[in-house]
Amino acid sequence: MSVTVDTELALLVDVGSAWVKANVIGRVRGRWRLVAHATQPTSWGGGQLRDALAGQLARSADSRLGDRLAELVGAANRLECHTARRPGRLAVVAVSRELSGSSARRAAEAAGWDVVETVTLDDGRTLAERLATIQGIEVDAWLVAGGFDDGRSQRAVEAAALVASARRPEGGPVIFAGSSGLAEEVAALFEPGATSAVANPRPDARREDLPPLRAHLQDLLRESQAGEEETHLATVALPRAVGALAASSGMRILAVDLGARGAVRALADTDGDVVSRVHARGGLSGAAVSPGAAARAARLAGDAGDEATLADLLRTIRAHPSTLPQTPEELAGTQAAALVQVAAMLEEGAPAGLDLVIGCGRTIAGAPRPAQSARMLLDGVRPVGVTQLAIDSAGVLGPLGSLPDDEIVEGLALLADDVLVPLGTAVVCRGGDTGRVAMRVTVHRPGWPASQPVEVRAGQLQVLPLVRGQEAELTIELGDGVSLGAARRSPRVQAMATGGSVGLILDARGVPIALPRRGDDRRAMIAAWREALGREVPSGAERVA
Amino acid sequence: MSVIHRVRLPVGASPLVEVGHEVQPAEVLATRRPPGEGTSVAVAAALRRSPAAAGDCLSAQPGSVLEASDLLAADGRGREVRVPRASLFLGYDPDEGSALMAPLLGTEPIVGHVRGEVTRVDPEAIEIRVAGALVPGVGGSGGAVHGELRLAVREPGDELRAGAIDVGTTGRILVGGSRASAETLTRARAMGVAGIVLGGIRDKELRDFEATQLRRREIGGERGDFAVLLIEGFGKVGLDPGLFAWFRAHDGHVASLFGDSAQLYVYDAGAPPARRALPRAGDRVIAHRRPYAGLGGELLRIVPGLHATAAGIPVRAGVVRFEDGLTAVVPLANLEAAEPAPAG
Repeated sequence: MSVTVDTELALLVDVGSAWVKANVIGRVRGRWRLVAHATQPTSWGGGQLRDALAGQLARSADSRLGDRLAELVGAANRLECHTARRPGRLAVVAVSRELSGSSARRAAEAAGWDVVETVTLDDGRTLAERLATIQGIEVDAWLVAGGFDDGRSQRAVEAAALVASARRPEGGPVIFAGSSGLAEEVAALFEPGATSAVANPRPDARREDLPPLRAHLQDLLRESQAGEEETHLATVALPRAVGALAASSGMRILAVDLGARGAVRALADTDGDVVSRVHARGGLSGAAVSPGAAARAARLAGDAGDEATLADLLRTIRAHPSTLPQTPEELAGTQAAALVQVAAMLEEGAPAGLDLVIGCGRTIAGAPRPAQSARMLLDGVRPVGVTQLAIDSAGVLGPLGSLPDDEIVEGLALLADDVLVPLGTAVVCRGGDTGRVAMRVTVHRPGWPASQPVEVRAGQLQVLPLVRGQEAELTIELGDGVSLGAARRSPRVQAMATGGSVGLILDARGVPIALPRRGDDRRAMIAAWREALGREVPSGAERVA
Repeated sequence: MSVIHRVRLPVGASPLVEVGHEVQPAEVLATRRPPGEGTSVAVAAALRRSPAAAGDCLSAQPGSVLEASDLLAADGRGREVRVPRASLFLGYDPDEGSALMAPLLGTEPIVGHVRGEVTRVDPEAIEIRVAGALVPGVGGSGGAVHGELRLAVREPGDELRAGAIDVGTTGRILVGGSRASAETLTRARAMGVAGIVLGGIRDKELRDFEATQLRRREIGGERGDFAVLLIEGFGKVGLDPGLFAWFRAHDGHVASLFGDSAQLYVYDAGAPPARRALPRAGDRVIAHRRPYAGLGGELLRIVPGLHATAAGIPVRAGVVRFEDGLTAVVPLANLEAAEPAPAG
């Protein structure tokens, strides 16, 4: 008599522009668990991915499933999210470089558009050069900006006229985000239906109001990618999952997803409301074309080489995005570039009152050591206060976010502990005089004897062991002029910390981190921080840098 | 073999070729009249109206092209403003009462820089079938140039030195090796070299070269086109030996090089060695990341399971015997299979 053995499997797949991450989930002792994981260049194809997953399953699966594993993986239910096949391309034509041009460009980039050109009437180019530039570009949409709402600046009409002279009929939508009184005049320059007017992002010289323009541009981008089902776009799916996680956990969560090409940041409040921004060139390869990024990465990497070496590395990553750093120096340079890109996503500073920061994307969540992930998040985001750090190392948040609304929470609950890898808790303060005590932290662990307070001086980073699943109550006394972000009502702050693979990080390095000017001093300091974060220590001992 | 090359046309360009036409690299495919520097045309004064009122008399819309003597504004009582020459109307200043016009300059040619047969003509682009091979690169600099290919180094890992550039290289596209300094590029351009193909170049040296060229253009001291194509990557990166051998076999062939779009067409040539992701044991491979960037070799075997690199990343990897005799374990993601060029 032959017995047919079967199993229930599902596949969670995140297809990025350079890398694909896939997970098999199956029932293990009555619970759904991640039972296999594979990451590979997207160009390797589905067959290779299936074989890799089946190969992993073979080590633990019922032997009676025999050589049917690849077939079972291929037939499994599939939850998939993917990066948009091509980012929308947009040109900004504005009156002023510093005001309307800068605002329009930032709104467009934060909405996920690839801004291929910014032309302003004061950009130093001649009129002929400006015209030649915009006549030579191929874009999917045009954004015209300029003029304040209390005037009718003809310069804004002139900017629109530049677009009208370079754009073919039906040559993509034109968004006018300028002087409100000029909307009709600008619309008359184009065929009917070509233009849409949006609230001025610079209503006057002192005020900037980007959200309406950003929201309009986000909607337009989604419409232009209508061929791809919206909830399966990683830029939509990840924020949905983060929102559901925030609502179910009651935490304020920031997720940063650094991909090969683009990047996403999603900020979710405890009620599940999410604000997300997509940075079309904010991914790792974008660092190659970001002015000053190579210099900043060289300073932050410590031992990865000089600026020219980092520039070569970043260009190589851009040319071959699905390759990997093979040497420690290249890894350090790549992670420093990731840190720079995360910081660029949060150039106005980290949101206040964060409970949890999640790192996603291969460079952050797939770093070989948890301490490296922690440093990219900690130094890139600089979350002031007491914040948990975690990584989506398997890359499941995106695929789970592609589920229908009411099923996302269920999916997160089913996978529970397999969704995120906790790194620990960071206590980041700002202010204080270098060398003086910035905070004095007493850690109370249930079942442990009372410990002496740990003093952390301004400029210092200390790590205390606090393993995954362990909790601790913290009593934090802050030094003069030192803050944890929120207004202080008492000289002591009480907070809870949860453990992880790095531990409890006490960080008094300030916001932003001040690095020594001398290269040798800087390298020594960075090496000490890295050592403190990554050192294996016996339980109970602290690591100081 | 043949490949299709697309020449994008700016708005207002007039194609001069038809489908089926055989074109040469220097042939004019279309013409355009680029706008020049802006000039003001007095409107209010000519209409004897206030600047604000004269704005209501405009008969053209900003962004439109007006031919010589076309009507720009009229007051309905016989007073008119006509444009003196063909111009692009860009805006009206209601404070000054004048119109901003960009006169259209003389006809400017649009050259395809490729040899082949026109297969499609529309207002947006002209497509040309090129009888030859396309060699794609990973980066480049400069516009479009054409000339004879000339090997300028002995080995694919050699650096292209300034001393290798002499009068005999004028008008040629040189195939260098693993890098060229900014000094070498400057000398090449000064000697009239059309372009350079390299395995790699240091990003800083390419930027330095571009900056000096920009400054020289700004002061009017530089004329003529020059382009650089990078095949493998950035830094000191040799050319794939298989591709280098293919270039050697096509020494003297005419080629068209597009620096900005990182493409090289070589005429009357068979397909170059192709690249394929996910190499198999026995494949010739080329490595892309340090410390083996640009080195070619044979993939001896795939390492079972995952292998941790020196950086600590667990990856699928293979054992490669490089052509310089070194044997190393390399992540498969950092390797491409280099398939031999088809015979003939």
